[in-house]
Amino acid sequence: MRYEVTTPKRQVAMVLDLNKCLGCHTCSVACKKLWNTDSGTDYTYWNNVETHPGRGFPADWQQTGGRTATGDVKQGKVPNLDTEYGRAWQFNHKNVIATDASSKKKDWLRPKGDPSWGPNWDEDEGTGTYPQDNHYFYLPRLCNHCAEPACLDACPRKAIYKRDEDGIVLVNQDRCHGYRFCVEACPYKKVYFDHERQVAAKCIFCMPRIEEEVAPACARQCPGRLRFVGYRDDEDGPIHKLVEKYKVAIPLHPEYGLKPNVFYVPPMSPPKLDDKGRPTGESRIPMSYLEGLFGKEVHRSLEILHAERAKKKQGQSSELMDLLIAYDWNDNFKLDNPKAREVI
Amino acid sequence: MKQQTLNLVAAPTSMQPGGYVMKAYQSSIEAITASAELETENAGKRWRIQVRWAAEKPVNDISSETDLFPDACAILVPTTADAPWITMGDKDKAVEGILWRADKDQPWSVRAEGLGTMERSAITEGWKTEAEWTGGYWTVTFSTNNWAALNQFKQLAVAVWQGSARERGGLKSVSPGWVAVS
Repeated sequence: MRYEVTTPKRQVAMVLDLNKCLGCHTCSVACKKLWNTDSGTDYTYWNNVETHPGRGFPADWQQTGGRTATGDVKQGKVPNLDTEYGRAWQFNHKNVIATDASSKKKDWLRPKGDPSWGPNWDEDEGTGTYPQDNHYFYLPRLCNHCAEPACLDACPRKAIYKRDEDGIVLVNQDRCHGYRFCVEACPYKKVYFDHERQVAAKCIFCMPRIEEEVAPACARQCPGRLRFVGYRDDEDGPIHKLVEKYKVAIPLHPEYGLKPNVFYVPPMSPPKLDDKGRPTGESRIPMSYLEGLFGKEVHRSLEILHAERAKKKQGQSSELMDLLIAYDWNDNFKLDNPKAREVI
Repeated sequence: MKQQTLNLVAAPTSMQPGGYVMKAYQSSIEAITASAELETENAGKRWRIQVRWAAEKPVNDISSETDLFPDACAILVPTTADAPWITMGDKDKAVEGILWRADKDQPWSVRAEGLGTMERSAITEGWKTEAEWTGGYWTVTFSTNNWAALNQFKQLAVAVWQGSARERGGLKSVSPGWVAVS
């Protein structure tokens, strides 16, 4: 029987402006260094950045989740460590260090074994023909802390729950028996299996930081200032403005029906060129591709973005553009919590 | 000593807690493990219980992998006269037993009061477990000096998981009800 998911008192959320992501992976590194360096989770990236069009991480995650394109449950897949996640690389540091200038056979730093896939494997490949329509963009991904989480509904042990105070979706690893139905079911493939401790593990939205009004590490460390964090009900906060007021931030794969709380400002792109190198006016990133990721709302979102950008170009004011530009980085995060300790 | 062949059935996924398993696995109606040989021996309070089943591709190591599931078997007994077998007990009608996994050195003691409530704990003293895979079969033998609930009700249920078929949790082959052992 499907579980009832109670609406939390508040819902913390994140918006990522894909027009500003430079693919530096600082977010992934910040997250990983903070939460996932153990041997059982060394392959995991609670936050990853993938090049689109591309296969992503884990490979082909959009085809292996537990939801159909109409939001129905289907049997998902637990990704393989070698072919879909990519085993964490071990390097031949000792051999390289042992090599000196006089050595006849010089070794170079390389991963042991013969890896065939990994996070960011197809970075910057994209698609299209240069210079007419070649294109790619970066898609940073993390757990969406959905309003109706597929992972929560997949656990026969009720080991996954949504916190009442902020809607963060968490795994109670004391209850988890490592069945991995959650890994199968999440269509975003953002629940991982700690194969050493044999329990599920996932993004906790840097919960201890949120409690102290500090944004998650992925957001705070982002050099591109593309991440916004706040509560959905805070009308003065960036989330409400981008999602509800201007309606430019939209969820990834809304058709799965899980009501994500991570939103994206979709990428605008330069026009395609014709045979003579003249701009055609047609978007270089095909709208059909963006629609496949973000649904039909992507059309309206891009129209608003183009209109507001045009206003700004003409010297008019635009609250939306000012917010997205992040003139004042502090405006990106608004996490007022009356229960937070004073951090000195 | 009592020997019997159990024709196993697939545990009904339609009863599984949550919305995913019951839908995603609704076509799993055939038992992956068709039968198991059960051998029980009782002397005073002492019990020896042996389960043998076919496992063509045994899975006894899942370390350092994400998508492997171990072979396993469990023996459950009721702790009350009316503890239901199909739901692994119910509130105040607990079942208890022993859970062996091919990738673990020691089995667990288990206790449940309904689906999704099973609690695992370290096996208590007085238990001995031997497991062997040979010729395409697992043979797992449990011995105990005393099992009060089994002494009282003299019935048990058997569950078998085939790791190679990604069976775990509620995806399992089970005896079709409590099995009398005396």
